[in-house]
Amino acid sequence: MTTDAHASAHAHAHHWEWSWAPMAVVAGTFFLLPITFAAFFVYDNSMATAIAGGLGVVLVLAGVAKWVDEGLTQVPLIANVSTIGLPIFIVSEIFIFLSLFASYWMMRLGVTSWPPEGTPEISKIIPLVMTVILVTSSFTIHIGEEKLEHGDRSGFNKWLIITIVLGTLFLGLSMYEYNHLIHLDFVPSTNIYSTAFYSITGFHASHVFIGLAVFIAVLIPSLGGRTNKAFVTCASVYWHFVDIIWFFVASQLYFW
Amino acid sequence: MNTPSATAGHAATPAWKEWLFTTDHKRIGVLYLVGSMAAFGVAGLMALIIRLEQMNVGMQYITSGTQYNGFLYFHGAAMILAFLIPGLTGFAANYFLPLMIGARDVAFPRINAFSVWLFYFAIVLALLSFVIPDAPDIMWTGYPPYSITTAGNTSFYVFTVHLLGFSSILGAVNFLVTVIYMRAPGMGWNQLNMFTWTTVAAFVLQLIFIPVLAAAVTLLLFDKYLGTHFYDPSAGGDVLLYQNLFWFYSHPAVYVIFLPAVGILFEILSTMGKNAVFNYKAAVYGGIWGIVGIAGIVWIHHLYVTGMPDWLRLGHMVTTLLISVPVGILTLSMWGTLWKAAITYNTAMMYAVSCLYLILLGGLTGIPLALPSLTLHLSETSYVHAHFHFIMALFSAFALFGGIYYWFPKMTGRYADGAVATLSFWCNFIGVNVTFWPLFIIGVEGMPRRYWDYQMFPQFESYHHIATYGAFIVGFGMLLQFGNFIYSAVAGKKAPLNPWNSQSLEWTHTQSPPGPGNFIDDVVVDENWSPYNYSK
Repeated sequence: MTTDAHASAHAHAHHWEWSWAPMAVVAGTFFLLPITFAAFFVYDNSMATAIAGGLGVVLVLAGVAKWVDEGLTQVPLIANVSTIGLPIFIVSEIFIFLSLFASYWMMRLGVTSWPPEGTPEISKIIPLVMTVILVTSSFTIHIGEEKLEHGDRSGFNKWLIITIVLGTLFLGLSMYEYNHLIHLDFVPSTNIYSTAFYSITGFHASHVFIGLAVFIAVLIPSLGGRTNKAFVTCASVYWHFVDIIWFFVASQLYFW
Repeated sequence: MNTPSATAGHAATPAWKEWLFTTDHKRIGVLYLVGSMAAFGVAGLMALIIRLEQMNVGMQYITSGTQYNGFLYFHGAAMILAFLIPGLTGFAANYFLPLMIGARDVAFPRINAFSVWLFYFAIVLALLSFVIPDAPDIMWTGYPPYSITTAGNTSFYVFTVHLLGFSSILGAVNFLVTVIYMRAPGMGWNQLNMFTWTTVAAFVLQLIFIPVLAAAVTLLLFDKYLGTHFYDPSAGGDVLLYQNLFWFYSHPAVYVIFLPAVGILFEILSTMGKNAVFNYKAAVYGGIWGIVGIAGIVWIHHLYVTGMPDWLRLGHMVTTLLISVPVGILTLSMWGTLWKAAITYNTAMMYAVSCLYLILLGGLTGIPLALPSLTLHLSETSYVHAHFHFIMALFSAFALFGGIYYWFPKMTGRYADGAVATLSFWCNFIGVNVTFWPLFIIGVEGMPRRYWDYQMFPQFESYHHIATYGAFIVGFGMLLQFGNFIYSAVAGKKAPLNPWNSQSLEWTHTQSPPGPGNFIDDVVVDENWSPYNYSK
């Protein structure tokens, strides 16, 4: 425990800490995931889907905005441990990806011929381009971090925006590919390859999406001149993780 | 988290806001306590209904098998996921772990609040199953193909697991960072409380294994609603894949519950016996971390009867039996802590001592279930049902209730001990034995578990009578217990700051209950300090 952590701790001793941000994010997530999903898939009610989804988005955005603002203005009890916490969280992420890959391997190694019937020709060009984009984006966010380290905020903002554009391009290519394959009648229910393909690439894409959302949460206050360095490091480390996982996703699903 | 400049604005904060939106670990602990006890109450009522239905052959109170499945689903899921895990790693760890290591809060207070609300919204989702059409009816295990083909709303089950799982993973991250970085200056690893060690181990298990459960149920969601084929053998999937993924998490989950319960027992035994923890290092590094080391390679014993290859069954038989070694080390340490101890028998201690019996009984009856040959006979009988209730449900719940009595003066400034507490303890202890012993006996004789009507086994009816009486003795005991908790919190006998003369920081350095920031001065300990430093 560092001494400055102690110094800030004394300021805490006289009142109960509170924040409405965590509850707002949870409530939003509750409406956005379980309720919206069930309204759409289970009860087939488009009105309820729209209401729950809309309410969820508003609550999540409000909660995240408040949370980010508090993270920028308040002094934490102990500084700079989020850069330790995030890698610990990533251990969990690794295990969830491992479970998905294990499921895929079990299916794939259990059949005699691959790809299974109903699989169209899947382009290897698109994943190659996507790999180049994602690797490049890992470098661009690193350059951005270096700029921030040297006090060059406009440089940081510039490279962060470039990273966000690259990430969005990656997601766009993914959507393009899905669209193309669905037109060739390759949908999640087609066969075990489509099962694994959409589940694993989709799960990875959701991580890219979260990474982009975090970058935007870094970018908006940064444009106004406010940054929390630990938050930037966490966003960047998470992005590198998403990048590394992509190598496994691409090599297992496209190039094996 | 507020800067000093913001303090003035907080002077007028209404109390309900400070509670509802709290980021203080103690208040979050209390929120966990209230939520987990409410879940215990509802799931306990379900158990009473289940027992009433089983009392006689034929249909009694429940109108259909689906309704019975719904009760079993809620009882199991709520007891494990909403009572035991949040009670032990939510309430007890939140309230007392930072106090024990001399920290002013956890490393990420807002994420801590995020975790507790994930837990509450998961309970809301589970409770919604009482009002929605097509409620989940898939037990707490959710095995396919039934969970995929049923008309029930499997998605709520999946999302309940997601919310609780995410809550636990973030809790794990939070507490691991807290213990690594926020121990009081001077506090070495071998000076940690046993409860701190067991909780850290439980969080390591949560961190590694929950994602696997999350993946398993997510694939269930994909299979049911998006038409994928992970668990569909007709298309090349594997229905046993789910059971493998599920038990790869859910067996370690037993230790997620078991370990913090053991930690609480050590706190009580050492304090009430005025004795240092016997064989501390062996218990920590051999017992606790031994369990963590083996936890992930025993899950096949839940699948012995599903047609696993023999080499896999034998391998997991060996590892399962091997678990007895670290559990044995821990048990030995608990008994050793009582050796030549100056024991004070109060309610906390009575629960702790009863746990020594429950761990022995629950542990020994598990050995036959580690053996594939015997499991072929015992699987899916009420023997299994009785075994896991003894080791998991009763042992852990008794340890948790013991912990509540032990820490009650710290949380409220008042004792919960007294004649009512003693009476409720004996009701609970006698009741659980009357309930579950008959189930062992008829299980060996072939009584299947999960049956709501056992017309083909009328000879077991008298045993079911006894078991049902037992359940109602427990019900009465629990009613007394909760009445006592509420009464004592408001009007119980006032307790001094350290009523048990403990050496642990939560007793020696804080108010009852501790205020914001926990400690008046920063805590510093030297190398001779120990939470179990009782001079002879």
